[in-house]
Amino acid sequence: MTEGNGLMLELKDVHTFYGSIEALKGISIDVREGEIVTLIGANGAGKSTTLRSINGLNHPRRGSIRFEGRDITNASPHSVVKMGIAQSPEGRRLFPRMSVHENLEMGAFQRADRKGIREDMDRVFELFPRLQERRTQKAGTLSGGEQQMCAIGRALMARPKLLMLDEPSMGLAPIFVERIFETIVEVNKQGTTILLVEQNALMALDVASRGYVLETGTVALADEAKALRQNEQVRKTYLGED
Amino acid sequence: MVTEARRPPLPLLRNRPSFTTVGGLTLVALLIVWLIVNLVKTPSDFAEIFLIGLTTGCIYALVALGYTLVYGILQLINFAHGDVFMLGAMMSATVAASVFGLTSGQSGVVVWLAVFGTLIIAMAFCGTLNATIEFVAYRPLRNAPRLAPLITAIGVSFILQNVGLAWKGPNYIEVVDVLPKSQVFDIGGVTYTWNKLIVVLITVPVLILLVWLVERTRQGKAMRATAQDMDASAMMGINVNRTISFTFLIAGALAGAAGLLYALYVTNVRYDQGFQLGLIAFTAAVLGGVGNLPGAVLGAICIGLIQAFNEGLTWHAPGSDWTQSIVFAILILILVFRPEGLLGERTPEGG
Repeated sequence: MTEGNGLMLELKDVHTFYGSIEALKGISIDVREGEIVTLIGANGAGKSTTLRSINGLNHPRRGSIRFEGRDITNASPHSVVKMGIAQSPEGRRLFPRMSVHENLEMGAFQRADRKGIREDMDRVFELFPRLQERRTQKAGTLSGGEQQMCAIGRALMARPKLLMLDEPSMGLAPIFVERIFETIVEVNKQGTTILLVEQNALMALDVASRGYVLETGTVALADEAKALRQNEQVRKTYLGED
Repeated sequence: MVTEARRPPLPLLRNRPSFTTVGGLTLVALLIVWLIVNLVKTPSDFAEIFLIGLTTGCIYALVALGYTLVYGILQLINFAHGDVFMLGAMMSATVAASVFGLTSGQSGVVVWLAVFGTLIIAMAFCGTLNATIEFVAYRPLRNAPRLAPLITAIGVSFILQNVGLAWKGPNYIEVVDVLPKSQVFDIGGVTYTWNKLIVVLITVPVLILLVWLVERTRQGKAMRATAQDMDASAMMGINVNRTISFTFLIAGALAGAAGLLYALYVTNVRYDQGFQLGLIAFTAAVLGGVGNLPGAVLGAICIGLIQAFNEGLTWHAPGSDWTQSIVFAILILILVFRPEGLLGERTPEGG
C-alpha cells in the first residue's frame, strides 16, 4: 500500500504459459483494498490461470505481480499464503479423507495463534451452520453445496487479506448459489477484499464493484460492474440477453 | 437429508458368482484347511513358526511402510527403497563392528547402548540418503509423465546395488552376532528367544512413533494433506517440496531401522538382498492396500507368516525353494481379486 491509494494487488502485463501454450497474453489487473473484483469470461479465457499466476502455482514468464507493494511474481505458493492471499479453488479441492473440521484446520496451516483460529472457526460455523452439523463427517461425503461452503470456509481460516474464489457457484443448485453469493458479500463487508472468478456473470456483476472481461488470455473490457451490466456486448455474450 | 432421499434403491444382485471368485475362494479355503491340518498334527511347531513369522513380518513392515508412505504422497513406486534398506544393513554392520567395536558373543549393557547408537546412525544415514535420492532423481521429474520417475527409480536401485557391491564385494559379509539367543519363555515346548523379541521390541515403538507423527503433528498433517491433493495443499500454505522431502526422510529412517534389525537378526548381508526383500515388502504393501499405513503392517505380517509357514511346516509345505514364487503369486492374486488391498478403500483419486 505504498502507493497510498489502497492498491492491494497489481498484475502488469502478465504472460503465463502451460508448456508452450500461452494461456495469458499480457494481462493487467488491479484490485484495491475492500473491493470485490470479478473476472468473467468463457471457458479457457484465462480466468483460472490468472489465479494460478497470483498464487504461485504457475509463475508468469513475463510481467510482474505485486501484492501490497511487494513483488510476488516468482514467490512460492506457501509464501503467497503467508502474505495474506487465500484461495478456494475451482472444483473445491477439499481433502476428501479428512473431516470437515480437519479441512478447516488445514486452511489455518500457516497460523500459530490458537485463539484466533478458534474464533475464525466459530465465524465460519456462523456463516455456514450446515458445516457445524457435519464437522466430523469426511469432506468427500458432503454434497456439492456443502463442499463449496467448506472450501470457502477453509480459505477464510487463513484470515486472508485477499480472498480468491474460483467458480464458487459451479454445479450448485440455485438456492445454494444465492446462499454462496450472500456469504461473499457478507465476508467482504467484514473487511476481506475479494477477487471472484465466475462463469455466472450476472450474479458476479451484481455483487462486484468492478469487473474484467477476459477473452482468450487478454483483458477485453475493464469497467465498473454497473457499467459492464449495461454494456451491449457483455449483455449479449455473457448475460444471455438480447 | 436431501441426498439420502435422492439415493436410488440398491439393485438386487443375483448374478452367478464368476469363475475368478470361485477360484479365489477355493484357494483361500484350501489354505485354511492346510493350516488347520498342520496345527492339529504339530501344534507346538505351529505356534513356534507363527512367532518366527511375526518377527520377520516386523522387519518387512518397516520396509513396506516406506513404500506405502512414498506411494501415498507421489504415486511413485520407489524401487530404490529396498536398496536403501540394504545399505542401511551394511552401514549397521560396519558401525556396530568398527565404531562401537562389538564382537560376536559379547553381552552386557554396552551391547544395548551400542545397538541403540547403531540404530540412530542407521536411521539418520538411510533417511538422509532417501531424501537426497528424491532431491536428485525424482524432484526434477515431478511434472514428467509417471513412467519417467518409475524408470529413474529402477536406475537408482541399480546404482545403490553397485555401491553395495563396490563397498562390500560380491559375497555375504558376516555381521557381529550380539543378540542373545537365550529363551524368553518355553511354554509346552513352544520357545521364543530374545533375539526375536528384540526385533519386535524395537519395531513396535517405531511404529507407534510413526502413527503419532502422521496423526498428531503439524508435519504429519501436511503429509496427509499433500497425499490427498498436492495443489490444494500448496494453496493452504503447505511447503509441498519440504513435505515430500520429509516423507522420504521418514521412509528412509524406517528402512534404516529395518536394516539394523535384519543385520543383527540374520547376521549376514549381501548387496542384492535389498532387491529381494524390497520386492517382498512391496508385495506386503500392495497386499495391505498401497498408500495405507496400517495396511502395510498387516500385509507385512501376513507375508511374514506365509513365508514362515511355507518354510517351517512339515505336512505338505512347498518349502523354501517356493517362497518367492508364492509371494509373487500372492501379488498377482491380490492385483486380480482385490487391487485396493486388504484394508484399502476404493477412492476416486486412487483409481
